[in-house]
Amino acid sequence: VTEATNMEGELEVARPRKDGYRFGAHWFVGVSLTLFALVPFMAPGRYTTAVLISILFFALFGAIYDFMVGYAGLNNFGFASFIAVGAYASALSQLYLGTSAWSGLLIGGLACSLVGAFTGLITLPLLGIYISFMTWFIGETIRLTISNARGVTKGMLGLVVQPLENVFGLDFSRGSDPISYFYVLLTLAVVCTLTMQVIVNSQLGLVWRSMKEDDLAAKTLGIRTGWARIINFTMASFFIGAVGAFYGNYLGVLAPTKSEFGVIRTVEVLTIAYVGGRGSLWGSFFAAALIVSLGEVFREFETWRPAVSGALLITVVIFAPKGLAGILDHIQPVFARLSERLTKMVSH
Amino acid sequence: MWELLLSPPIFASLIVQGLALGAMYALMGVGLALTFGVLGIVNFAHGEFFMIGSYVMYFAAAMLGLPIPLAIFLAGAVVSVFSAAVERGPIEQLRKRSDRNWVSDTFVLTIGLSIVLQSLAQNLFGTNQYGILELVGGAVPIGEIRISGDRLFLLGTAILIGLATWLFLKYSTLGKGIRAASQSADAAETLGIDVRWMGTITFALGGALAGLAGALLITIYPASPTVGAGPLVQSFAVVLLGGLGSVPGAILAGLLIGVLESFISFLTSSGWQNVLLNYLVIAVLLVRPAGLFVIKGQRP
Repeated sequence: VTEATNMEGELEVARPRKDGYRFGAHWFVGVSLTLFALVPFMAPGRYTTAVLISILFFALFGAIYDFMVGYAGLNNFGFASFIAVGAYASALSQLYLGTSAWSGLLIGGLACSLVGAFTGLITLPLLGIYISFMTWFIGETIRLTISNARGVTKGMLGLVVQPLENVFGLDFSRGSDPISYFYVLLTLAVVCTLTMQVIVNSQLGLVWRSMKEDDLAAKTLGIRTGWARIINFTMASFFIGAVGAFYGNYLGVLAPTKSEFGVIRTVEVLTIAYVGGRGSLWGSFFAAALIVSLGEVFREFETWRPAVSGALLITVVIFAPKGLAGILDHIQPVFARLSERLTKMVSH
Repeated sequence: MWELLLSPPIFASLIVQGLALGAMYALMGVGLALTFGVLGIVNFAHGEFFMIGSYVMYFAAAMLGLPIPLAIFLAGAVVSVFSAAVERGPIEQLRKRSDRNWVSDTFVLTIGLSIVLQSLAQNLFGTNQYGILELVGGAVPIGEIRISGDRLFLLGTAILIGLATWLFLKYSTLGKGIRAASQSADAAETLGIDVRWMGTITFALGGALAGLAGALLITIYPASPTVGAGPLVQSFAVVLLGGLGSVPGAILAGLLIGVLESFISFLTSSGWQNVLLNYLVIAVLLVRPAGLFVIKGQRP
């Protein structure tokens, strides 16, 4: 029996690395997420919940950003405007078509994936940094269009969005502790990230990685990198739009300002993705927790917050290209050994 | 609105206004184009170099009371020293470690730098705007129209700086070295040109051009932590229209955008002019990614 489990244990370790993680890392992520879900019980209150929700939004957006940049090498510099597309599509269909806020998540996702597919299509003649420029200018165009079309979107005056309808006895009305939003968002975050994880570990993920490494070489091997790029844009945009719609419902008022849906927000999300480590979806969760809670702890130095995250970004780009996930790489052998021991104990 | 354009004074003053603004965009664009052409760096902190220039201008001219030309020179000098330090500091560190992803890595690095600089400015000087009302003042009558002295001063100084930059690049030994390094770093190195120094000098020159633009435009863009955001987008539009890395392209595209902007904002009210400019950039990226003025077969 011992030999067999030993064999199994070794097989576990010898399995090809998926997404930079081995067995132990899943334990690490799972335990951290469970602890995270329990925080409202340890420190109840509106403030805690609001901070946790902010962490989750940044984590999820960072993970989606990483889904594009870390796997397909697409630096989507119009990211924040894609969030706006989801939020506005859902809010406007609630306002003018009378759809429910819950179906708005789907509407936001679909609307945004259309925009994403179109963006992917028109970046096709471009490579590398030019894709960032194209998405940057497309994003700004979207934001300025929303801001100028005052008749429909109320522009900078702000569009009021209704909260999510109460379901299953959960209270989504505003003014109380947004604890329901937290748990729905947590579920959304875990489901989205697991889905993305499955996608990037599939054949499609391999295609994207080959495209990221060398577009020309991938083409030579018969991979249709153009299609691969459009698919990545479309899928990522679906997630952005759905989460964006939820974000709109949570926020209550939408205005296309630079800090909400402009370059400033894109840079914040990019920082999370880079600090978390490119090519590790869960890394964004740790980066978001780190950056948002650092900001909260040093609240009296609020004006220094951007400087700190900027310095963090510079440090990561220069010294630690693998980001926090790089640290995870060091921790994970410990967990791998631990889980091996546990398996042994259970089988004895 | 359209029939107003037929009146020569309005038409001419729009042209001059557009050229003056366009010349500034061209200066910033040339800075970006040089940095990309020689070093392969897409400098997202270019707007913050502009911002530093405008702060230096304000402190030198309005607080210390230095004469305007000296203050402008000082702004350029301070920013060029600062950007040289940036090139020798963080960018050099990245150069040691980065390989294939150099362009996107430096882009992200300068994004971080831009956030840090904005935040520093906000903490040091607050969010107030520090502006100067006029640099020379007055108005110059040309024929039957009167053109504001400031606009002419802007245009004249920009042409002067542009000319100086061009002469420097074309005829001085250093300028030849920079051009050689941008054409082929390896070949230049073989011929005994210190490519590293050429890089630092280019980055300092690019920064100085942004700083000078910031100093000159202080009457239109008063110094504030986020003042660089607008000029940054414009200068990226300039280099994308003119072709990334192309200096003549940047000059032409800068003038074009300046004149277009002055006419469009005269004809349309409400912020649609930026949307139109964005459409132009997207269209050019789609149809001629190497830039509007690149002749087929020519090295981009």
